[in-house]
Order: sequence, then structure tokens, then C-alpha cells
Amino acid sequence: MTAYRNGPNIAASPLTTHPSPPLAGLRVIELASGPRSGFCGKLLADMGADVIAVEPPGGSAARRIGPFADDVPDLNRSLRFWYDNTSKRGVTLSLGHAEGRALFARLLDGADVLIEAEPPGELDALGCGYAACAGRLPGLVWAAITPFGQSGPYREFAMTDLTSMAMGGPMASCGYDDLPGAPPIRPTDLHSLHMGGEYAAMGVMIALLERLQSGRGQYLDVSIHEACAGTTEGSFPNWEYFQRLVLRQTGRHAAAAVTPRWQYRCADGRDINMIGGGIPRNPRSWRPLLAWMDEHGLAEDLHEPQYEQIIVENPYHRGPAAAHIAEVIGRFVQALPAEEVYRRGQALHMPWGPVRSPDENLDDPHWRDRSFFVEVEHPDLGRSITYPGLPYRLEGSPGRVASRAPLLGEHTYQVYVQELGLAPAALRELFEQGAI
Amino acid sequence: MSTIDPPPPLEGVRVVDFSWIVAGPQATRILADFGADVIRVEYAGRIDSIRIGLISPDTPPGSMDASGFFNNLNRNKRSITLNINDPRGLAAITRLLTVSDIVIENYSAGVMERKGLSYEAMAAVNPGIIYLSVSGFGHKGRDREHITWGPTAQAVSGLTYMSGLPGQPSAGWGYSYLDHTAGYFAALAALFALWHRAQTGQGQYVDCSQIEAGMVLAGPAILDRTVNGRSYRRKGNPPGNRATYPSVAPHNTYRCRGDDRWIAIAVETEAQWAALVAAMESPCWAAAPEFASNAARLAHQDELDARISAWTAAFDPFDLMLLLQARGVPAGAVQNIADRMERDPQLRQRGFYTEAEHALLGRHRFEGVPFRMSRSEWRVREGAPLLGEHNSDVLCDLLGLSDEDLLELTLEAAAV
Repeated sequence: MTAYRNGPNIAASPLTTHPSPPLAGLRVIELASGPRSGFCGKLLADMGADVIAVEPPGGSAARRIGPFADDVPDLNRSLRFWYDNTSKRGVTLSLGHAEGRALFARLLDGADVLIEAEPPGELDALGCGYAACAGRLPGLVWAAITPFGQSGPYREFAMTDLTSMAMGGPMASCGYDDLPGAPPIRPTDLHSLHMGGEYAAMGVMIALLERLQSGRGQYLDVSIHEACAGTTEGSFPNWEYFQRLVLRQTGRHAAAAVTPRWQYRCADGRDINMIGGGIPRNPRSWRPLLAWMDEHGLAEDLHEPQYEQIIVENPYHRGPAAAHIAEVIGRFVQALPAEEVYRRGQALHMPWGPVRSPDENLDDPHWRDRSFFVEVEHPDLGRSITYPGLPYRLEGSPGRVASRAPLLGEHTYQVYVQELGLAPAALRELFEQGAI
Repeated sequence: MSTIDPPPPLEGVRVVDFSWIVAGPQATRILADFGADVIRVEYAGRIDSIRIGLISPDTPPGSMDASGFFNNLNRNKRSITLNINDPRGLAAITRLLTVSDIVIENYSAGVMERKGLSYEAMAAVNPGIIYLSVSGFGHKGRDREHITWGPTAQAVSGLTYMSGLPGQPSAGWGYSYLDHTAGYFAALAALFALWHRAQTGQGQYVDCSQIEAGMVLAGPAILDRTVNGRSYRRKGNPPGNRATYPSVAPHNTYRCRGDDRWIAIAVETEAQWAALVAAMESPCWAAAPEFASNAARLAHQDELDARISAWTAAFDPFDLMLLLQARGVPAGAVQNIADRMERDPQLRQRGFYTEAEHALLGRHRFEGVPFRMSRSEWRVREGAPLLGEHNSDVLCDLLGLSDEDLLELTLEAAAV
């Protein structure tokens, strides 16, 4: 029976504050040649793992993605790289050099986990793939994140986030029903990499827990295509059980048949999103909602008893009367500012939300109450910068954003000389050869 | 190699699952696929609405067991029915807690506390317990009682705003992306907490907010404001399917032959542009100075996209994808669910969809897990549990209630 199983077998310990985050003591090597490995590495680094991003001598391709701090394009100013690489250290090496590969092997000697996102077969061809390392490092957990996985007819396809979101399925469900000819839409940011990175991090943790039992590491083959394919909610059961496709709809779920509108533009030009067209699902919300609409003289005919009867009998009712209720509520909310509709709707227990741009949450005190946003020092710029924090609060062993992303090669001396014991002269030689 | 299969990696981890709808069940689905014993605690007075959503045709009316949507989300789990408002129901839960590792719930803030099922109450029974709350706004902060569904959380977090065509209302996400994602983060948090407990023996409380999850997925947009003072809400945003960072063109979806058929093409380098031009058989227009560099193409994107659309319109999207990929141009057909399940040779060869039996619905396909491990495996052993299917297994065999106790509990609970 290993320690992570069956709680009652564990000796009860007093709940004292544990000073270090949960993954403290784990060493992770992230082969960071582009943006694909970064998010997985960040998830582990912000929980306390010592993640060393290993970049090619010219830097990760992610360093070339904007926007840039102060709009100055620079390898150390990419906000994409900053965000995906918090709490990590950074070194460089070239796997094209024999000396670089030797250094890579030495880095792996002390590691619990390797994350890599190289095209399938590339590391094997260089003699530093899993097969070459596993015999020497039986405890190593090796996570490979690729667009399609290591096998299959599409494994060598050239892919970007757009093409992954197209083939994987999210785009078939995202778009407009009220804009003739509109294409399927890719939500912006790099969500295919988020999904792949989240699953890779889960796989790493499952493998590490398993290692407590077996003492052995293993290889994880993560497919971004499959991560996207498994993240589309209703389209799967609609096909498997009804053999029907879903229609894209503006601001609401894609569905087999058109559903009433949920999203309206409010008086301030901002949008409000109201599940189920805003029809109250809790009958107790109905009369206060009418009273609020009366304040603006916009309840129209909703005081007629037939409408209250629908709400009491079945708030999920679909028919002309329900459609009418939704239309009147829609006209009402268009006469008010979005944040007011949101606040007063929520006060009546209705799940309404304003369509904010993400940065507008910086101004909402609820997130301050939760200390969600955190300040991160950028000593090289003499500034402290506000970042989003973590998506979970482990109260007994919280994670944290420990530090800003490494500058290119920032920890090369620390890691190679101070930790691996290279002579400074040898480091200089490696640099001059282009090996680091 | 040993001929004996290694045990599933999470075998022996027991999860008391109070969660419902999608976010919580998504988290426990992952744990169950890797061998955890996930026990859904259900209550006929407050049924998981997914049990009655997308009811399969040809199943008994009023059935709580006929949803394919529920089947896919809750496979490999067990189900017990207990009225936790009844002291005997609560007593059974307390006994279950003493032999469990993880508790998960995704009610609004305050609901579990009012039922006497707070973390503090559970930790008093089992100090090693890991207790996860998954909600829209989190369980702390002034708006903790706000009610959210996936689309609400997407709207507040900014993810809805970031999806759409410039100058148009937001298209948003056509499904509850943040229910999936909150489930992924909750599963990950459970694994972190199991790791921590293995080192220290300590359980803990974990608070997951779906809206915070959404903001975590929008980091660079938030940094653009905190570093550069530039809000994402500005003219030209969101950019539809065009690329802002890095700014490259062509980068868009293009209509193909057939009903609602599209291909995504993303040219990131001059070599890829040259390959695309060659695939188009080098039309005269492509040689014009307006398209000679990435900067020029960006400046003439409307015309560029119109030209490419005119070319793609005659193609089947799958033929065109293969044609372009053969030349190294990033291109992907926009695949609907039928394409993925019936046609996609990649998903088929990798065995992403896998089959299992459900007691009422019969044999069906399930979505798999998007990674393979060399020594451990995930499995869809069986479909979702019928409502209360495992009352006897759990309450009698595991917790030691007598058959008479169970009968009484069942009758009383059913009467509520």
C-alpha cells in the first residue's frame, strides 16, 4: 500500500502550514524550442518544481511572439514567453553539437521529468531520444507533446494552433447563427496548446504517483489533436446517440436545433450573456425581476398570469410563450448598462455574466479579495508587473508565481558551472563552439 | 517485461463525488479512467440534470439512466443514492469518508457547509482527506455566491470576448469550454494534493474557480494591459481567424466544396507561401508586389483571402488538406464530429474512441484520454452507473451496513 492511497492508513498529522509548495524537490527539464512545451512546464513550475527551460542558443521560437513589453521586439520582452515561463530557470544548449548532447544527458541525470515537444523521431535521430536514455534513467518520466502523437498517418503534418483547433473539433462548434456566411471561429490565444499542456501535466503527475509504487518512470505520448477532440462537450453525444451534427450559435451552445438567443448588446455597447435567454430558472426570481423591469417601465405584458405559470411549472419550457418572455427580457437588458444588468441579475440569483475583455477583471474587487492577481518582480527592468495567478488554491500547500521568466541563458552559469561542476573555462569553450 | 498487467496507476484511490453537470464529473472522469474508485453520491430530490439531458431515443420515459451525454462523462464510476438531509444519510457519508481519499463538489459556495459537509467537518473525521470545491467565482471573495454556468464563466473571464469576427458581437465558445477546463485543473489539483499527502501525510482544502481558470488561459492579453496599458477591448479585436501574434498572412478559414465545408490555412514563413503558390499552380495574381512579402500580404489581406477562397471553393477540404500538407503548408480541414468519429484515420489508428457496455444503453463509443503511457494505461471498463446501482456494493460490502439498514435507508430516502 503506497502512501498516496487510502487515506485512513495514513497517520493523522496536525494541519500545520507547510512552507514549501507541493512539487518542491522535483527537477523537471523542459526542452523549450517553441511555444508547445511552455504551458505544461509553467503548471509544474508554479507548483514548486525546479523547471529548467532548455532553449536552443538563439532562444525559443516563443520569444519571437508578441506582444512585446513596451512594444520593443526583443528576445527578453515577449509577453507570451513571459507568461508561459514563470517560476522557471533557463539555460541554452544545441542538440546539434555532440557537446550539447552530452550536457543534455548530464541535465537528465538529475531529473525526475523531461517535457519535450520536438517533432516525432527528431530526438531519436540525434541519439538522445527516450530509447537512448531510458536504460540509464529508469526513474525518468518523459512527456512528449506533439500535434498528433508519435504514431498515426498525420503525425508529421505541419500544424499551428489554427489548424489544430480546426481539425480537433472546437471550431466546428464556435461561430455565428445570425451572420450569414460566417466561418467557424477559432477563439484567440493558443488554446490547443493549453489543452495539450493540461493533459500532459496530468499525465506527468499520474506517472510520478505511479513511480512511488513501482520505482520506475515511463513515457507519455500526448496528442494535441486528441486533447482538442475530447474537449467539445455536446457534439459527441449528439453524434454517437442521435447521428446529428450541431449548429454553431452566437454566444451560446452549438445545438442540433436553433435555440433562443442568449446574448444582447446593452446600452453601454457592452454585451451581456444570459443562460437560457434570461428566463429565470428559479421561480422565486420571477416577481423581483418584474419589479426591476417595472422600475424602467419595460415589463410589457409579462405581468399576465400565464407567464408566471410557465416559470413555476417548468422554467426549461420551450414554446412561443417562453420565447416571448425571453424577447421581453432581451429588450429590457438592452436599455441598461451591462455591468448593472449583471449585478442586479445575480442579486436575483440569475446566472448572468457581462462579456468582459480579460483585462477588465483587473478592476473587479472580487479578484482582489481572492488575491488572484499577483505582483512579479522584473529586476532587470526595475519594475514589478501584475500577472494572473493560479487556477487552484491548495490551502495546505499553495503554489505561487515564484519569479519572472528567465532571460535568455540567464541560468547557464548557475546550472552548468555551479551545479553540474563544469569549469568556467570549459563553459567559455562550449559557448565559442556554439554548443550552448 | 512482466506478463502481469501493472495495476492502474490510481487504483486504490477512492473519491467521494458530490459533483454534477460537467465540470466536476469531467475531473473525476479522468481519475476514474486511471483506476480511481469514484463513487457518485446522488439524491433523487436533486438529480444531476445531465442524467435527463440528451435522452437516448427508444428508452423508457422518465428514465434517469438513458442519457448518452451522462454515459460519456461518468463511465467507470459507481453511484449510490443517499439523502444527505437525513441524519442516517449523513452518517453513511461520514463512514464513507473514513475510507476515502478525495471529496469533490461543484455546488455554489455555502451549499455543502449548510449540509454539515464542510472541509472542517470532513477533516475532523479523516485528516488526510483532500476536499475540492469547483465553482465559478471560487468560495472566497465578495461575489462567491454568484451563480455561473460554463458560458457565464466564459463571459466574465474574457474568453467569450476573445472569440469572434472584428466589428461583430462576440461569437464566444459553442460549448462549456470552462467546464472542461475547470475539470482538467481540478483533476490536476487533486493529483498535486495526492503528491503532497504522499510527502507529508496531510490532506487539504482546494478551491478552484472557473473564471480564474479562464483568466489563466488569457495571460498575454492581461499582461498587455498591465505592461503596455493596452486593453484587449479595442478596434480590430478579436481578429477572427486571422493572426495577430505573430502577424502572418494568409492565416484564415476558407470555404470549400460542400455544405458548411471549410479549411484552415496558416502560412508562417516565406517557404510556406511559396509552397502554397506552387500548390495553386502559380496564378498571376500571386506574383504581384501586393503579395511579395509577409508585410505586403498583411496590408492586402482582404484581397489575399478573397483570392485564396476563390481557389479553395472548388476543392473537397480533405483532398485540399492532403495536397497542402504534402507541400509542407499548415492546413487542416474544419472537422465536425462525424468527420472525427467516422473518417479521421489518425483518431482511428490511435484508438481515441473506445467502446464499452452500458446496462441500459448497450454498447457505445466513448471519448478516450489524449495521451498514452508506456507502462500504465487508462481504460473505459464500463459505462456510467445506473442511479443507485451500487448502493448495496458500497453501503453494505464496503461500509458494513446490514441489508435491513439499507432497505430502511432506501425506503426513507425514496419517500423524501
